[in-house]
Amino acid sequence: MSGEEEENAAELKIGEEFLKAKSLMNCEVAIILEHRYEQLQQMSDGGGDPSSQMSQVFEKSLGYVKRFSRYKNPDAVRQVRETLSRYGLHEFELCTLGNLCPDTADEAKALVPSLVPGGRFDVDERIDKMLNDLSLIKKFE
Amino acid sequence: MFFHIVLERNMQLHPRHFGPHLRDKLVAKLMKDVEGTCSGRHGFVVAITGVEDIGKGLIREGTGFVTFPVKYQCVVFRPFKGEILEAVVTMVNKMGFFAEAGPVQIFVSNHLIPDDMEFQSGDVPNYTTSDGSVKIQKESEVRLKIIGTRVDATEIFCIGTIKDDFLGVISDPGAAV
Repeated sequence: MSGEEEENAAELKIGEEFLKAKSLMNCEVAIILEHRYEQLQQMSDGGGDPSSQMSQVFEKSLGYVKRFSRYKNPDAVRQVRETLSRYGLHEFELCTLGNLCPDTADEAKALVPSLVPGGRFDVDERIDKMLNDLSLIKKFE
Repeated sequence: MFFHIVLERNMQLHPRHFGPHLRDKLVAKLMKDVEGTCSGRHGFVVAITGVEDIGKGLIREGTGFVTFPVKYQCVVFRPFKGEILEAVVTMVNKMGFFAEAGPVQIFVSNHLIPDDMEFQSGDVPNYTTSDGSVKIQKESEVRLKIIGTRVDATEIFCIGTIKDDFLGVISDPGAAV
């Protein structure tokens, strides 16, 4: 693969295919996987436990997203995406911010360096406002 | 990072499955074949969430098997160089520590742990700052940056660092005890 050498998430170099794809926050993945887990449980109601049908990858991912979901309530999860998408973020940036929930503008810029160039966030106040919006959702969840 | 993407795969189906439930059989086989696998390009396939399109089948000469091109949506986990994520520490030794983020394993070498953290051996091996305020041990949650990925046929392995601003321990299991 030719693009391998240049891959760098800090500059949003994640390959054409993933740039176009929809990124998911951990809390969104948790909702999808838990739904799937319930389906498996219902299917195997007649006997046997659902974990025998799940791949190790599924099991580990479910455990991970449950542990690292910032928002548990599906309405809050939807709000986070809506709120962040108002700031002209790329999918990958949106999900990194939603996953890590930085407290300050400096932290946000360190975690998502691609916020800095391009002039979308030429003043820190705009980042602060965005982070503030996020923490409000968390507070009222 | 987790992604929701559309992938394509050619599925071979035995003629005995042809009938009113052909589609169900095809989808069931797809899930069995694809979920839990890993490729360097797309990462780990966690779960199939839908089938977009099943193309026209093509009979393979000599066998009677039919190949169907299937387009499906799935949730994948693909780590990227430069990505920052949270992970759970699974093992600590004097070389560094291993952490897990979902299906992927990440190794953080002791060169990429801040210099003020020293390795302490014992029942619970850990890295601790000289004043004892920060500790990394098994089950600690850390925020790290991926600086390298190695792709195997069936696995992706990452190298990470916590030697940068805003990286390091988020929660310490020892603190609660």
